[in-house]
Amino acid sequence: MATVAASPTYASHATGEKEGIMAWLTTTDHKKIGTLYLHTSLFFFIFGGLEAVLMRWQLMKPNMTVVTADQFNQLFTMHGTTMVFLAIMPLSAAFFNYLIPLQLGARDVAFPRLNAFSYWVYLFGGLFITIPIFGWMAPNGGWFAYAPLSGRTYSPGINMDFWVLGIQILGVSSLAAAFNFATTVINLRAPGMNLMRMPMFTWMSFVTQFLIILAFPVITIALVFLQFDRFFGTNFYQVSAGADPLLWQHLFWVFGHPEVYILILPAFGLVSEVLPTNSKKPLFGYPVMAYSGILIGFLGFGVWAHHMFAVGMGPIGDTVFSLTTMLIAIPTGVKIFNWIFTMWGGSIRFTAAMKFAIGLIALFTIGGISGISHSSPPSDLQQTDTYYIVAHFHYVLFGGAIMGIFSGIYHYFPKMYGRYMNETLGTWHFWLNFIAMNLTFFPMHFSGMLGMPRRIYTYDANQGWDTFNMISTAGAFLLMPATLIFIYNFFSSKKGGEPAPPNAWDAATLEWSIPSPPPEYNFAKIPVVHSRYPLWDLTHPERTKDVPHTDAGMVHTGEHDVVDMHIETETFTAKQLGIPMPSATIKPFWTALGMVIMFTGLLMMPHNKTAGYAGIGVGAAMLVGFLYAWLTTPLEEHH
Amino acid sequence: MTRNFRPRQLVRAALPALLLLAIAACGGNYPNSTFLPNTEFNRDLTATWNTMMFWGTIVFVVVEVILIVAIVRYRRRPGTPEPKHVHGNTLMEITWTVLPLVVLGIIAVPTVRYIWKYQAPAPADALKVQVIGHQWWWEFKYPQYNVSTANEVYLQAGRAVEFELRTVDVIHSFWIPALGGKRDLINNKTNILWFTPDSTGEQSFIGSCNEYCGDSHANMRFRAYTVNAANFESWARHQAANAVFPPPPPAATEAATAVPAANTGATQPAPAPAAAPSTGFEFPREQMGAHTLPSTPIPASLKFNEALLANGDATRGFETYSRSLCIGCHTIRGNPASRSPIGPDLTHLASRHTIAAGLFPNDAKHLAYWIKNAVAMKPGAKMQVVGKGEIDAVTKKPVAAGGLTDEQIADIVAYLRTLK
Repeated sequence: MATVAASPTYASHATGEKEGIMAWLTTTDHKKIGTLYLHTSLFFFIFGGLEAVLMRWQLMKPNMTVVTADQFNQLFTMHGTTMVFLAIMPLSAAFFNYLIPLQLGARDVAFPRLNAFSYWVYLFGGLFITIPIFGWMAPNGGWFAYAPLSGRTYSPGINMDFWVLGIQILGVSSLAAAFNFATTVINLRAPGMNLMRMPMFTWMSFVTQFLIILAFPVITIALVFLQFDRFFGTNFYQVSAGADPLLWQHLFWVFGHPEVYILILPAFGLVSEVLPTNSKKPLFGYPVMAYSGILIGFLGFGVWAHHMFAVGMGPIGDTVFSLTTMLIAIPTGVKIFNWIFTMWGGSIRFTAAMKFAIGLIALFTIGGISGISHSSPPSDLQQTDTYYIVAHFHYVLFGGAIMGIFSGIYHYFPKMYGRYMNETLGTWHFWLNFIAMNLTFFPMHFSGMLGMPRRIYTYDANQGWDTFNMISTAGAFLLMPATLIFIYNFFSSKKGGEPAPPNAWDAATLEWSIPSPPPEYNFAKIPVVHSRYPLWDLTHPERTKDVPHTDAGMVHTGEHDVVDMHIETETFTAKQLGIPMPSATIKPFWTALGMVIMFTGLLMMPHNKTAGYAGIGVGAAMLVGFLYAWLTTPLEEHH
Repeated sequence: MTRNFRPRQLVRAALPALLLLAIAACGGNYPNSTFLPNTEFNRDLTATWNTMMFWGTIVFVVVEVILIVAIVRYRRRPGTPEPKHVHGNTLMEITWTVLPLVVLGIIAVPTVRYIWKYQAPAPADALKVQVIGHQWWWEFKYPQYNVSTANEVYLQAGRAVEFELRTVDVIHSFWIPALGGKRDLINNKTNILWFTPDSTGEQSFIGSCNEYCGDSHANMRFRAYTVNAANFESWARHQAANAVFPPPPPAATEAATAVPAANTGATQPAPAPAAAPSTGFEFPREQMGAHTLPSTPIPASLKFNEALLANGDATRGFETYSRSLCIGCHTIRGNPASRSPIGPDLTHLASRHTIAAGLFPNDAKHLAYWIKNAVAMKPGAKMQVVGKGEIDAVTKKPVAAGGLTDEQIADIVAYLRTLK
């Protein structure tokens, strides 16, 4: 275990590298793709936030007319769709991309070009579903799109066509990425890194990939049925032909509930990195944290019908889903206690990242407790589809997922850009965000329990809801400067932030053993890992002496560029080191664009047959042609 | 940034807001509160809630206190020694697995009990009300009383009521928060919800649709009235009778009052009584809670010559109505021209306090604007725009042939106002 500087094998400078915009369009580097994901999803996060601010403005007082009923319905549909599919999931994907290979000690993901394809599909799909709101033609059936309202009979316009096709496009992106990351974790771990030595973020991400792999096919089937109903006149949800509209609800929530854990588990993973690092202590109860993540993922598939306690499932169904829902509180509570006891007895450094991580613990607890209160169907009958539910899931998703993601951004920014984000601005961001978030969502507990339904664009005076709505709106307005501070900090720190050393926070895992920003090949020599905390093994052996270790000699890899755990300090190019890297290629970009053009053709079919056939024809030709070209080109250039 | 103002001071600034919230939550008038003990159903739901909040508060306090103690006590200060490196503790893991299990067990007991209690059949003597959801209004039928009405549901205080919930278009959800939990209206399925308003006295309540159902989901409200047995019978008897036009002089009709076949459970209307009693119980407007009196503004873009309302002629209105587009959707029992079941039953329209699913008060002025352009009054409304010159919602062109002038609308309003 020693510091080994990688030695260049030949000194000629890299040539033929693409530059400028083409470098981004053709990249297959997981770090660049992660950067693209991060920026795109931050854009959609702001966009979805502005949609929410418009809604809060409309609901500030009774009988307001800031937007019309249909505009409001588009706003809440798109706010939900945007935040779930275009903001939080891809924000997590940004971290999957950037961190999983680094934490595993790998040089890229298993399928680099598929990774690029996932991003481009996400970008085009996101634009496909977002652009219509500029003409107030956006989806207006709710992000849950309940049948029969989402069918052609009750939603004849183009609005829900954007949704049913757009979510399918985004599903392709999520599924491709999930297979990619699952394969990466299974196959590309550094020598010695068995599953129980993976960093907790990678662990939670690994669980998340399986949730995506198992949940997205269900929503895809539901969407294909809906698409066939809308475009080809089938009767899957056609109630006049005798269909049971609860089929949609079951399919949607079999996807929809695991989706909640898809949103939250990566954030859990991020704070599980931030808390130990800033407490100078190993994660408390690492195996229990890993198992509870698996258990949350597993139980997450057995609770979906708790979204449906008011549909009249009968007492047996209600009882079963109530009890499974209560059970899921156990592994979640275990995580909360393990995080707190990670800090307990530690030496806590309050970085901005740490504040957001602690914020997650404090706020997610509130969301968890209100969650228990609607795991009980009798109680839920007074809560479901009211503002109480809106309060609950914003504590889980804003207080949980978003707080965790902010924590991750502050924490990993020095790794991505070699500079720290401004801590003073970060602290302002945290406190404004924390206060504004509580101001927005806490009163919703009251307005809900005092009888205010969800998804209403207006309400009458004298209902007893005025004060709470006023406070919620004030909080939403306060979230805007909070977010602005973050955005300013993010962009100004890229150029002018304080330079950060490679191991910016004195952390324990592999990503901190290489320069910041990491070189294109990540690791000049793949490190051999001996414990859960390979970097602390070198820098703070006293912190890891109680965890299981293996001897260096026990790991046999047979690969020539594997070296015992070490710290790399110099940056070269892959060419200099003779490391084969996946070539840059534009093909995934065109393949993704072809797929989205194909869907756009289908979208046009009811309105203009010629344009429809043309779109499908051109799109399918591009999809097949570029996919063929992609598959027949080798991944790496031969040196 | 000055040194003397630190972000942490924001917390101090936020305290007044939290205090305001606490005051708002404890004082104040909350007519739609889900905790009002008006029914056994609501009392049981509140009891479940209280159990959960008791334990939830304990969990909340324990977690947040340990968290705060941890971050205060273990804050890194200059000279803080290297911490002890604990990797876990099996006994602690078991503790915080088992203790929550015990708490969940305590919550599960009333949960399961009430699941079964309120999905058991309703008491046999329950008042049966068929609730039929439409985009965006409520149809209420009383098979035991041959009554069909819309958007205002009368319940008998002290008597169990069993709602049979159905929908004709999309999924809706029936909810009167102050009386109990909600239940969805699902296509091709009849759902049941029952409770007993045993401690309400005579009161008015707000109900609403709780499942997103399209454009005017927010405007799909209704009123519920709990009234005593005698008043309920009086109301039901009157509602079952036909409308009579022109209305007979008050005294002459008492003898002609036909008692409808009560408790037959028949869903088909019985042979129509000859004439309506001129009076039946109507929930007194002055007893209505402020929250049940709608205050939705009329859109500024919609104009109606309100001076015409004073001169509206009911007889002319009857004739205009009976030849107009109105009869394509509405029923007025007693008016042979008006028998379509698509829109709300207008037979006793004037006995209701609200129109347009609780959106507007039922007076001449609001009726006139509503008839002229329902879509402008209520987004997406399925009622055709009939005001001459108004823009039709479907064709996007001004209504010409068959459209009604303000004078004609004033006459129709006068006619509708006679339908007590």
